[in-house]
Amino acid sequence: MSAVSSGSATLADVIRTHRRRIGLLAILGVALVLPFIPPFTGEDYRRWLIVAAFMAAQAVAFDFTAGYINIVNFGFAAFVGLGAYTSGILAVDFGISPWIGMVVGASLAGLVGLVTGALTLRLRGIYAAVMAWFVGLALMGLVRNVPEVTRGSLGLSVPLLLDTSENLPYYYLILAMLVVTFVVLAWVIRSRYGLAFRAIGQNLASAKASGINPTRYLVINFVLSCAFAGWLGGFYAHFYGILTPDIMLTSHTVEVLAIAYIGGRGSLWGAAVVAFPLSIGVEWVKVQFSTLPGVHLVLYGVLLILVMIYRPGGVAGLARSLDEWWKRRRLPDRPSEATADTGG
Amino acid sequence: MTTAATNLRSVPLARRFLSFTWLTLGAALLVMAWAAVAQPSILIDTLVTGGMWALMAAGLAMVFGVMNIPNFAHGELFLLGSFTAFTVYSPIRDAMFNDPSLTVLKIFGPFPGMVAALLVGAVVGVLLEVVLFRPLRRRSREQWVMNTFLLTAGVSVVIVNGYRLAFGNNYHGVTRYWDVPPLEILGVPISVDRAMVLVIALVTIGLFAVFLQRTSLGRAIRAVSQDETGAQMAGIDLNRIFVLTMGLSCALAALAGAALLFLFPAYPDVGLQPLYLAWFVVILAGLGNIPGAIVGAFIVSLLQTLTAFYLRVGWVDVMPTVFIILILLFKPSGLFGSAVKGVWEQ
Repeated sequence: MSAVSSGSATLADVIRTHRRRIGLLAILGVALVLPFIPPFTGEDYRRWLIVAAFMAAQAVAFDFTAGYINIVNFGFAAFVGLGAYTSGILAVDFGISPWIGMVVGASLAGLVGLVTGALTLRLRGIYAAVMAWFVGLALMGLVRNVPEVTRGSLGLSVPLLLDTSENLPYYYLILAMLVVTFVVLAWVIRSRYGLAFRAIGQNLASAKASGINPTRYLVINFVLSCAFAGWLGGFYAHFYGILTPDIMLTSHTVEVLAIAYIGGRGSLWGAAVVAFPLSIGVEWVKVQFSTLPGVHLVLYGVLLILVMIYRPGGVAGLARSLDEWWKRRRLPDRPSEATADTGG
Repeated sequence: MTTAATNLRSVPLARRFLSFTWLTLGAALLVMAWAAVAQPSILIDTLVTGGMWALMAAGLAMVFGVMNIPNFAHGELFLLGSFTAFTVYSPIRDAMFNDPSLTVLKIFGPFPGMVAALLVGAVVGVLLEVVLFRPLRRRSREQWVMNTFLLTAGVSVVIVNGYRLAFGNNYHGVTRYWDVPPLEILGVPISVDRAMVLVIALVTIGLFAVFLQRTSLGRAIRAVSQDETGAQMAGIDLNRIFVLTMGLSCALAALAGAALLFLFPAYPDVGLQPLYLAWFVVILAGLGNIPGAIVGAFIVSLLQTLTAFYLRVGWVDVMPTVFIILILLFKPSGLFGSAVKGVWEQ
């Protein structure tokens, strides 16, 4: 996305240079007014929007690891659950405000991520993925096995985040959390850390050769992603008001993973944007086929398989190639651009 | 299978790791010996489930070694195997119930189900290779390991939930395969089912080893796992080997599901525990290491049995992680290391 506007910048040039930002802001604008567009004015449908934004935020945090350092955090749902349970238990047993609990939950998820990452990220990618899965299974086993604290599969009732039964405030809250997640992680990606992440994700050996200590960067990335997972888990806990160990199921990780990969690995925005139509569609399927539990997971699975084989770049990859095609098509009209490029 | 020292630098490392490996093995054998005296049921459970985890893990290790595919859908073959065995065995059981004089069925009744499971597993394995992995291989081998991992994760979700849609959440199981009084070995009663499972596991592992070591196809499989390009130059048809490997691996997993039907009734999520225990074995043994996977399966089974016996069944999910973290702290490349290297190591 090189900006090569020389001389007086016309409006078209500005739009061209900032088309990504403008596109994202436009999408955010749509997300902001969406709850006032039928059918989303109904409370049930607004709940779908909350689910969609929640999935989007998770997928962004997931893609930060999967798309950039090429490590699949297969225990992602467990980190979400860890944050949820931490915040929930703090609120129930110690009367601590959920707002603080969410931050504590994020920190704890980050800490467990640090231990997991430090142990496994110096190994090859597949080990780290499987180990993260084991850690996730262990966390779920832990929650199931200490019903004195977590009430096990009976479910832990936790206080709600807001003093309202309406869905709209929650929607704007999770939307804000999505924006924060996206902006912070995108900012990290644009920093020199992001450069190191990409270098490591693409070619570990040459990254090492150019003096990057891979483990350090991998761990930083992993911890950040886990911490955001925990933070989002806090929202989940205090939005639904009930927690069961099932939120840590691997199938939830697969849902997030499917959205992230369908959106396009290594783009952040692809995951965020795709999450809305996908999870709203999935909620619709769930309602339509309520007698067929699991049909939405079959859909996610099939979509994931198709994307992995035929469109590994996902929607973001598709957009990228469209963008390139558009640029190539425009090139003959703008000879000045070509000369500017060669001129340096 | 794995040549010990591939380069000079690894010699002292290998020696150090060997001692650690032997320590672990020795400890496991000691615990088993103690269990044989104090709690024979622990030893029996270890051997019975260990044999089946060995079938699962050996297939998983082989597919990884040969095709570089970390198969996350391996547990679903266990599910398909157990359901196939149930479907085939149920009418046979009913026939026995209606006519108790059919002694032939009493002895051989369970076997058709197991054979059917083997066949179903093989067919599904071949389909997976032909329909999914081959197109992906043709398109791109970039980030192959991670991509196939995600692909198989998708397959797993589709099979589990497809099964749930088709057959529901009910348990389909049998209380026992062989309706005869338990054997008594050294004063310890052992149900015939368990003894038979152990026999089946040992026979299958033996046949599998002979196949890999002594037949030309087995040698071809091993050649591909060591050096794909070299094997291709020697005239080995890679596609044929991939189909064979995948079919064999999935057949073994399905057989495990069929043989353990009396312990694990078929239901949508039944494959999860076998899957993660098999993965646990493979991580422990080093990815791609088949003999290590077979030994490791018994160690893992011992750990699982001890946990279930002394703590609670629920802690079976937690203990492997604790154990494997301890192992990885001391030996990052797995208990038995691995000389099998593929494209994924780059």
